[in-house]
Amino acid sequence: MTIGITTYLIYLSISIGLTIWVARTLHKNGRVFLVDVFHGNEALADSVNHLLVVGFYLINFGYVSLALKLGYDVATPQEGIEALSVKVGMVLLVLGAMHFFNLFIFSRMRRRASLVNGPPPVAPDAYTRVQEA
Amino acid sequence: MTALTVLYDPTCGLCRRAHEWLEQQRKLIELVFVPCKSAEARLRFPHLDHDLTANDLTVIGDQGEVFMGPKAWLMVLWALSQYREWAYRLSSPALLPTTRRVVSMISEHRYQISRATGLTR
Repeated sequence: MTIGITTYLIYLSISIGLTIWVARTLHKNGRVFLVDVFHGNEALADSVNHLLVVGFYLINFGYVSLALKLGYDVATPQEGIEALSVKVGMVLLVLGAMHFFNLFIFSRMRRRASLVNGPPPVAPDAYTRVQEA
Repeated sequence: MTALTVLYDPTCGLCRRAHEWLEQQRKLIELVFVPCKSAEARLRFPHLDHDLTANDLTVIGDQGEVFMGPKAWLMVLWALSQYREWAYRLSSPALLPTTRRVVSMISEHRYQISRATGLTR
């Protein structure tokens, strides 16, 4: 096995492992948020949570797959490690960005949901009798 | 609160345009539009001073809560799904004085604004 192939294989296993770890973290800890957003409707929260994670996997694996090709030959182990660190670093940044984007979506959904039940912003000036139609 | 009755001025172009815009917005609270000083308004709210409602926008909640002027504007914003956040923002202690000033100014000059923007039909 050449150094190039070994680099690819290590890249794939690290990237896939990291993606699965982040997705699981998101899945486990995002659920509490979503249950709150959907007012305790656990079935709906689980469904949305699952769909979000699927999207997360698709985007990340898509990126990992597209970014695989090195475009140059790796002759020594040192070059292999350097190439690996650049590739894994990019994957980490994409994962990080995706993760914060997910958190942003969670918090926005939560804020929106809490607004729906919000009280009137101002107190009335007076009261009047309403004639039922 | 599940519904708000909006007593608007049908003689002002700006108000009619605002009415059309509001009809298209997604709402969290139902908005019922009734022209101010109309027979319908007098029938629904027999104890209200209807001359007062012609001066400024008036909004009435389903329990008889009366909101006038800037407060009425804020309540209408609050009823809209997309703008509830803005209702809270504009009614915060820091922004409420400005909101009152701007809204009162627009309200006071609504006929001039309607004319200047060509909204008179």
